[in-house]
Amino acid sequence: MFKRYLNTWSILPIFCFIFFITPVLIVISSLFGEYSDNWSHLYNYVLGTYITNSIYLVTGVLILVALIGVSTAWLVTNYDFFLKNILEWALILPLAVPPYILAYTFTGLFDTYGTANNLVRDLFNLGREFTFFPKARNVPGAIIVFSFTLYPYVYLVSRMAFINQSKSILETGRTLGLNKFGVFYKLAVPMIRPAIIAGLMLVAMETLSDFGAVDHFAISTFTTGIFRTWYGMYDIHTAKQLASLLLIIAIMFITAERYSRKNADYSFAGSVFRQVYLLKLTGLKSFLAFVICFIPIFIGFILPILELSYWAFNYKLDFFNDKFISTAWNSFYLAIITAFLCTLLAIIINFSVRYKNNNILKFLSSFLTVGYAVPGIILAIGVMQLLTFIDSGFIEINIQFVLTGSLVGLIIAYIIKSYALASSTIESGYQRVNKRLDDVARSLKTSGWPLLTSIHLPLLKTSFLTSVLLVVSEVIKELPATLILRPFNFDTLAVYTYIFAAEERMYDAAAPSIAIVMIGLLPIIILTRMIRTSRPASRDK
Amino acid sequence: MNIKSISIALIFSFISSMVFANEVNVYTSRHYDSDAELYSSFTADTGIKVNIISGKGKALMERLNSEGANSPADIFITVDAGNLWKVQKDGMFQSISSNVVDSVVPANLRGPNDEWVAIAKRSRVMYYNPLTVSAEEMENLAYEDLSDPKWIGRIAIRSSGNMYNQSLVSSLISNNGVANTEAWAHRFVGNFARKPEGNDRAQIMAVANGEADIAIANSYYIGLMLSGKKGDEQRAAARKVNLHFPSQAGRGAHINVSGAGLMKNSPNKANAVKFIEFLLSDKAQEHIVNNTYEYPLSANVAPSDLIAQFGTGFKEDQTSVADYGKFNPEAVKLMDRVGWQ
Repeated sequence: MFKRYLNTWSILPIFCFIFFITPVLIVISSLFGEYSDNWSHLYNYVLGTYITNSIYLVTGVLILVALIGVSTAWLVTNYDFFLKNILEWALILPLAVPPYILAYTFTGLFDTYGTANNLVRDLFNLGREFTFFPKARNVPGAIIVFSFTLYPYVYLVSRMAFINQSKSILETGRTLGLNKFGVFYKLAVPMIRPAIIAGLMLVAMETLSDFGAVDHFAISTFTTGIFRTWYGMYDIHTAKQLASLLLIIAIMFITAERYSRKNADYSFAGSVFRQVYLLKLTGLKSFLAFVICFIPIFIGFILPILELSYWAFNYKLDFFNDKFISTAWNSFYLAIITAFLCTLLAIIINFSVRYKNNNILKFLSSFLTVGYAVPGIILAIGVMQLLTFIDSGFIEINIQFVLTGSLVGLIIAYIIKSYALASSTIESGYQRVNKRLDDVARSLKTSGWPLLTSIHLPLLKTSFLTSVLLVVSEVIKELPATLILRPFNFDTLAVYTYIFAAEERMYDAAAPSIAIVMIGLLPIIILTRMIRTSRPASRDK
Repeated sequence: MNIKSISIALIFSFISSMVFANEVNVYTSRHYDSDAELYSSFTADTGIKVNIISGKGKALMERLNSEGANSPADIFITVDAGNLWKVQKDGMFQSISSNVVDSVVPANLRGPNDEWVAIAKRSRVMYYNPLTVSAEEMENLAYEDLSDPKWIGRIAIRSSGNMYNQSLVSSLISNNGVANTEAWAHRFVGNFARKPEGNDRAQIMAVANGEADIAIANSYYIGLMLSGKKGDEQRAAARKVNLHFPSQAGRGAHINVSGAGLMKNSPNKANAVKFIEFLLSDKAQEHIVNNTYEYPLSANVAPSDLIAQFGTGFKEDQTSVADYGKFNPEAVKLMDRVGWQ
């Protein structure tokens, strides 16, 4: 009965997967090992705090991200208002700001003697004991930090989905008496639910796995607990077991989501694309729409850039030299190469899941996706163990070929780390390609490779570009795997920033941080333009 | 050139080949700018190229672990004796036989069998606000005294996730035992002026700003702040505080080290020993003390003036730094139990 799975469309992807999920398996295999005494300590004293803090954090972030991401995406795809054309792509900019950088900005601004509080004191001539802004080093502060740096995940997928949404359904809603808001929350949002949820999954996993920001705010979460167990108790095995629990939670989330839309088909029979008429807002409404879209950009992008520039210009201007150029180039080409390879992989996998209804592959694909919920460095250790294992095999048979500490090894690690981003984007793109198209194509003797290249790829263009964009911005920010797997004397911008930020030398870290943001911006701007022109109805504009 | 040959060329450029050259491979968790200058100066003197991978101590240790016998690493450098202890315990170091090491580094600042050595020292000291705390109150004040109720709401210290605090508590466990240390820590945490936040410099700033009266932080931070490298605001703050060496009537001030260990499978062992000897040379020690404001190992080298002004002949705790690693897991659990965030 396995025969139907054994053909070109499944052997290659399955082979890829056995390779790619090994690091995740290495992490999870810890569950089957021994349980040390440290567990009773964790259980008695800290696990409760870790869990409650993590739950508060993720819940808060998901609510805020959904509100920001979906509402802004709806506004820019359906209305024309003040500066809309700029806001539409500027809303993606916070993607270039890693959460920990925004966390540093927040403490720099809002600590008792931070820039913002000092400014208020100077302006109103108040005493030193007066504090206007509340401290940011707490769970609500962290919720804001994560929400305003991660909402683009939801914004991007929602916008992509709204763009491809059949307008005739929405118009039918209007004729049946729904008002504009009713159309939005009774029709438009439910119809793109899979896309929103896919975005939220990424946000949840990224929030759960983040270490930098919560560590800076000194909030005890599951992730800080993992590191405390590893670094402080010298117990990496228990740390991996804790990380596996995160994995299991992620798997539960994904399964629940899959199950909930088991029988629903979210692709549109009509898939009618027509010229989109943007409703022109004027006066107060136009201004309000502008404010709603501007606030996330201001908090997630403009504020950190202002603070970083202030630090950089005051303290360190000698950064932009030869070393900077080579470092930036390293970040840039690694990101581009990874993004294309990763997106291609995701397309082939998702195609073969769809085309062959291959359930083994579907399971493996989801499995690799949840790897995203593991803190980067734990996953990086899994990758490293895989690479060193292969290396020792090479050395055994006398081949002078070392993956650990090579760029190939680094790219493999990046692909494993960012596969979730690519796959969820491609998957939600595929959900909107009607399956009947495949049947039609097959009846016209177009199947297999030609079906993918000449029918699916053009329809998936927006998803393809979005995926490349997400992976590029992820790789440029990626730190833990880079630190542990890089070759000798090899730096990326993220490494450069970390070296200073780890010591909280934010004035020194400011210039490379700005560089990360700027280098991250290049592909974002280019790709956003391409995504915009890939909108089917706008071609004749 | 066709696509095939381009891709082959690309693939080869991406694979790090094993080159046997005149070099030394260093894994380090010290990431000071000034260290890079130090390495260039070693290359200039000896012609030996220094290859660096920097990262978090524990992550580098995992890489060393899984590379095993195939590891290209010659030397592991870290800023905490606990990490060195752990690598030695896992059997990944070998003895460094060198007359230079024997003559420069005191026995309590070396690992068992000379498998690792300190390259610079720092002390975990107290900083106080002379406007709110008198010199008499500070006289002979020990870490143990900070559990006294007179300090309620007056102490600033960073979170217990920080390894400097873990080492300090480990040294207390090593000297006073777990039960006494836990009783002390319980009252000590009750004296905090605020929930632990920020790094060591933030604690000194808190004293300067009047948020706390006493801060515990490493000795070199005051040098960094006074040097003006961190901006005028920090220099001004640093001038408002005084440095106190704790426990001068008792064990002495807590000492920790930056140290280097020689890897068991070091492919360039001779170069590695030369490199360690270089780090202990007067020239290198001079460079370290004037850039990172740590204390030197070499008796011929004086600490930076910015640090020396607070006193140089202070009594150092002779507890073996290797104990910090041994008691570190217990210290972390103890801090969890007393609610030290």
